[in-house]
Parts: sequence; C-alpha cells; structure tokens
Amino acid sequence: MATFFEGMDHHPKTEVSDLNPPGLAFPGREPYPVRDFPMANCYYTCNLLPTDLIIQTGHVPRWLGNHLRRPGAPARRGALSIHPMTCPYVTKLVAAADELLAGSDDCLVVPGGCDAARRMGDLLAAAYPDRVFVLPMPRSSGLEVAKTLAVDLARFEDWLRTRRPAETAPTGGTSPDAGNATQEPPDLDYPVPPRPGGVFVVAGPLTDDSLLRLIDRLGVHVSGLESCTSPGRWRRLAALGGASGGARSKDAPVAAAATPDYEALAVALLEIGMCPRRSTIARRDHLARRLDESRPTSIIYARQSFCDPGAYDSLLIAALAEERGLRYLEIEVDFPFDANGPLRTRVEAFLEAETLDDDLLGDDLFGDELFGDDLSEEEA
Amino acid sequence: MPGMADVTGDSLSASLIRTAFLAQTRWKAMQSRTARRYMELHALSASLDLFKPGAVVPWVSYLFPTELLTSYKITPMIPEIGSATLTGSDLRGPVEAAAARAPLARDVCSYHRIALAAVENDMLPVPTMCLGTTPLCLGKECLLETLAVRHNVPFREIRVPLPPDEGETAPEVIADVAEQLRVLHEDIGRWTGRRPDLQKAIRLSNRASAAWGNIMSERLAGRLEMDGRLTFATVFLGQLLWGTEEGAKDFERLLSERGRRDLMVPVLDGGRRLKRLLWLHTVPHHDKEIFDLIRDRDAVVIFEEMGQMHLETVDPNEPFFGLAKRLTDNVLWGTSTRRARLDVALAKQLRVDGVVHFNHWGCRHGLGSVPVVRAAFSEAGIPFLAIDGDALGRGGAEQEKSRQAMESFLELL
Repeated sequence: MATFFEGMDHHPKTEVSDLNPPGLAFPGREPYPVRDFPMANCYYTCNLLPTDLIIQTGHVPRWLGNHLRRPGAPARRGALSIHPMTCPYVTKLVAAADELLAGSDDCLVVPGGCDAARRMGDLLAAAYPDRVFVLPMPRSSGLEVAKTLAVDLARFEDWLRTRRPAETAPTGGTSPDAGNATQEPPDLDYPVPPRPGGVFVVAGPLTDDSLLRLIDRLGVHVSGLESCTSPGRWRRLAALGGASGGARSKDAPVAAAATPDYEALAVALLEIGMCPRRSTIARRDHLARRLDESRPTSIIYARQSFCDPGAYDSLLIAALAEERGLRYLEIEVDFPFDANGPLRTRVEAFLEAETLDDDLLGDDLFGDELFGDDLSEEEA
Repeated sequence: MPGMADVTGDSLSASLIRTAFLAQTRWKAMQSRTARRYMELHALSASLDLFKPGAVVPWVSYLFPTELLTSYKITPMIPEIGSATLTGSDLRGPVEAAAARAPLARDVCSYHRIALAAVENDMLPVPTMCLGTTPLCLGKECLLETLAVRHNVPFREIRVPLPPDEGETAPEVIADVAEQLRVLHEDIGRWTGRRPDLQKAIRLSNRASAAWGNIMSERLAGRLEMDGRLTFATVFLGQLLWGTEEGAKDFERLLSERGRRDLMVPVLDGGRRLKRLLWLHTVPHHDKEIFDLIRDRDAVVIFEEMGQMHLETVDPNEPFFGLAKRLTDNVLWGTSTRRARLDVALAKQLRVDGVVHFNHWGCRHGLGSVPVVRAAFSEAGIPFLAIDGDALGRGGAEQEKSRQAMESFLELL
C-alpha cells in the first residue's frame, strides 16, 4: 500500500486509508487530493486557545481563518456543509477544514463556545474521527468552571501527545514548512494606533484590518477594537505559556517543558476570552471598561448574520452606547469582511454624520454669541 | 369572548375575565375528561397566576427541573411555551409587530425573539429570577441573562457537561450538577422567603413520570399508537406541571383509554396500514397544513423525539442526583453523533417508514446536527427528510417549500 511522508523521519508513516478514514459515511463524497505537508499542523477555529500548549506537543497551531477556501473555487462533490442558517464564519470554516483535513493527517481543535461552533466540531469529528478535538468552553468563570476547563485542557494536551509521540516531535517547536514560525495566529493589527475620540469597533472574527482601514480612509480614527481576533486577544493568547503562565522560548526543547499549570492556564484563558458568548453580566463589565478606557465618540457593531451570541451582544452594546450618549451603528457583515458595496455606504453615511457633528462643533460656524455667551441667564 | 389580551393584565377586571376564561376551559376539560384537555386547563391556570400582582415569576429554560420551583409552589415561566401560546392566540398580531420593532436580530430563534418582545411589551410577566441550564442551547441562556440584566434580577445557570457519545455519564459529573441544583434550590428559598417541600414535589413528579414512562414504553413496544404531534403538544404544556398534584393526575389520565382517546392514531378503513414517521426536534405549533398533508397521505407521526424525557422516577432520598441525571442524559444533549446514534436506534425499534427533522428557524443547536443525523440515517437505510420552518409560523413561502418537500417524501415512502 502506498505511504505518505516517505523518508521523513520526524513524521509517523501514514497510510492512504488513514487519511480519509471511514468515520460516518457521508453519501456522495469524493476524496480530496492529499497534500504533501511535512509538518503536523493543529488548526484551530475560535481564537480561544493557549497556543503554546499546542506547540509543546510538536504541532504548529494555525488559525483556520487564515486558510479559507478561495471564493469561487469549485466545491468537491459531497463536500461537508452545514445549514446556511448558520453564521458565515462557521460555514466557511467547515469548508476550509474539510479541505485541509481530507488532504493531510493534520488535526483540528474546535473550542465549542457557541452552538454553531460545537455543531461544527461534531460534524468534522464525525467525518474525521480521532482528528478533531472539541474543547468545551464555558460561559461563566469562577473556580469550579476553571477547574473543569483545566481538566479539558489537560485532556486536549494528552490527545495531541497521543497523536504525535514525543520522539517524533521536533525540538524548538519550529516547523520545516513554516520556516521559523512556531505558530500562525490571526495577524490583525491596528493600521494606525488607536486613540480616544474616534470609533470603537465591535466585531466577530476578522481576517484582516479592512474594516479598520475603511474607517480610517473615511477620515475618522479608531479608538479601539473588540473582537476575538483583535491584537489585544491574539497577542495575549500567543504569549500565554503552557508551563508557568509565561511564554516559553521557542528555542527551549519541547521535552524540557514542565507540566503546564492547567488551572492557571484556564483562569487566564477565561479572563482573556471575554467574547459575546460569555456571561452577559461579565461581558457588560468588560465592555464598559473597554469603552471607558478607549473614550470613543461612536460605536460600530459589525455583527455576523445568524450569530446568536452576537445578536444579544449587540443589544448590550447598544444599551452601553445609549448610557454614554455615543452614536451607534449596527451592520450585518459576512466573513471574511468585505469593505465594499452597501456596507461601505452605510459606514460612510454614519461616519459622515460624525464628521459633520465634529465640524459643527469644532468650526464654530455660528460664533459664540449664538450659543449664549453674551446672553443673560434667563435668556440662555 | 375574552382573549389573551384581556387576561394578562393585573386589574380587577382582568382577574374576573381570567376566572371566566378558566371556567370555560374547565368546562371543556370536564366534558372531554381527557389528559390533553386537563393539561391545557392546568397549564393555563398555573400560567395565569403569574400575571397576578406580586407573583414570583421564574423565567427558566425548557429543561429546567421545575420540581425545584414547584417545591416552593412556584410555577415556571418557560419562554418557548409562552411564545407558542401567545402566537396561537389573539395576541399574535401585536406580539409579532412588537418583535418586528425590537432591535434583536431577526435571525435568532423565534421562540426567544417573540418571548423577549412579549415581556418588553407587557404580554408576558417580567421575571423575578432567570434560571438556565446549558442544555439545550446557548440562545436561551443569552435571552435569560439579558432579561436578568434588564430587570436587575438574579440569574443562575446550571452547567451540565456533555454526556459521552457511548455509555453513561460518570457519577461524579452527575454529582457536580446535583450540587449546583442543591445550591440553587436553597437560593430560591432565600430569594422568595418561602419554605420548600421537595419530597412532596418529587413524589408528585414521580407519579407523573411513572405514568408517562409506562405510556412511552408501550409506544416503543408497538402496543400503543399515539399521534406524535398531538402528544408532543400535550407534553410540551405538561412541562409546566411536573411536581404538582395536577400534573400527576393529568399524566395518570393518559393511562386510561378514555384519558388518551384524543391522542390516538386513527384507524384506517379496510385494515390499511399508515406510514409511520418519527419526528425529530420541535413541531410547527400553528401550521396545520403539513400535518393535514401527512394525514391525507395515510401517514402519521408515530413518535416524537422530544417526548423522551422524565421517563424514569427520581429517588426521593437523593432528589438532586436524580434531577441532575435527567439533565445529563437528555437525548437531545451531547454531540450530534450521540443524537444520531440514539435516533437511529429509536427509528429501528419503532420500525418507522421515515424520519422527519424540523429545522426550526434560528435553532443552531438543532439544525447544526442535521448533517451527521442525515448521514447516520442514510447509512442505516432509513429515509430521512429535513424541512425548514418556523415553529411559530403560519404558512408563508418557507412553509410552502417544506410542504412540497414533505409531499415528495411521502410519495417516495
């Protein structure tokens, strides 16, 4: 029988039959061509993982959002799909994962934060048995919750180690195909450093900074971004060390890594991952703090269609905006975000009004006397 | 003739109209003497009490162990039941208009969207507390906590880990859920200042469970053929009554032929056999067309997936453990693979001709599992159809499409 990865001593031999394992027989599926990736990748969906945990097991963590199928690429007959009444993030990730997993022996971890994500994990796990790990993600925090998550993180690490025994894991956590990169998180960054007095953006996952650049191009600056792919999230997660809560050097040998303090990891993870699926009360406090720190003049909520947590989260944000007297716009967006078309027009109209307000107030169009400086108290 | 709009106020006239409205429903129940009619009466009666001034109104998830509340003589307010009731009444127009005006996205579950619009527009009582369970979906937890924040009332969530795909949930996992229930039960007493009688609530709940478990066993064994759609509608309302005297009596009424006679499958002339369907997930409550079509094509929903709950009694000496086990073991909780495995086994046991999954509008939990469930039925060689629709809808283009799909499916069978 033909084997893959011939001659690669760091990788276990894999047989063709293992690459498209039986699993549940999804009718009418044709196999994907097998890709020749020499390194074990562990893709992940939601940006809710301490990636160092994955690196320590000799895998390269890669955010699946960076590996979407090309728009318009012909779909394979019988490719996995999920009901269209599901958010575009999940539908696109299912397609991407199906293609990547079918053509390799890589694995995938799906933090099951919301129903759609959990069901995505179920579907992919059924189609690719033993290659998909669904990590339960709680809504709340607290000691008991952190303990449960810690157990699940330990289970996850065991699962990864079983997939890739220590003797096959490369030292240093680097991968031949990824150059010196030990991981590939979302790489969204602010095109211009955020500062007070602009737009605070709330969004689901974003693949790039096109929304931020759009706002910038329209002459308004960004005061902050609240998203699971924001730099504030992915940088902290990427730096979240598996051993002691600090980042492990990429040059440190895998074998030298101490057993991670899973509970500390879980606590940190719950603290960083304050996304819309989390407890409304905790999320409200988090958002209020972020708004107070960012001091914006308006808020744009870029909500993905068919996203339950996002739908309720937008109510919360709208209420916070009202409490603070901030202008608020909710737009329904696709994934990946498309900065053109009707959305651009809506954002433009909203921001034009904002610019106009600033002009009216800042340019002193009517002179002080009209605003009452010269008026008596009664007249004012 | 008074309608729902007249009975949900807290004035004296509303109180009088409530009394008259209930008297009429009681008369219907006494005439028919069926479990279904009595269940309607008692669910309505208990729910209307929630509109009285000073009533304790716990908004809870559909699977919440209501015995914890009935032990304090408190009736639960279940959003799914509230929404289904309102949209089936003369308040349908106003509540739909309120939902359309509301800022909540239209793509979320319609049960929850309608419930939020209703409570914000005085058509459902405002919560005194909001109590969720992680089963079955995240959307209703978001709804319950949103309500708790808006009305500044306590929110609690019972965290229930997913059961394994095969085998039983570990006892220590059940014990953890049980401990959460115990703490919550104490909290309810502290919040309301009432004293509970949990033993009594469990005793009454067990009477109902014993009756319902018996009925379900007979149905599974093929000795009793009940219409799954009507039975589901009855048990759906019965969810408000577990742990009450009325609930115990109503479920026990199902044990007699007279008590269940309006839920039975029709017998065809000349010994013709009906096509037997297994119905998965919720039903379209107000759309008769699809079920008329099923009946006209000599088919029947012989069993409903969601009726599989409260089938076993709870040890009165360890009530929290028993109530917790019901949550961890619920057939709709767990992975899609678990659900598919249980449903295929159920279909085989019932020897159905086909299976229908209702893709309720906005239910990511239900429709997200369809690809796996479909593949499992395909592998088992059992015809499977998934139809899109809104459980609260009445007609419309989507429903028409589903009706056509159902027609083709029935022809195929």
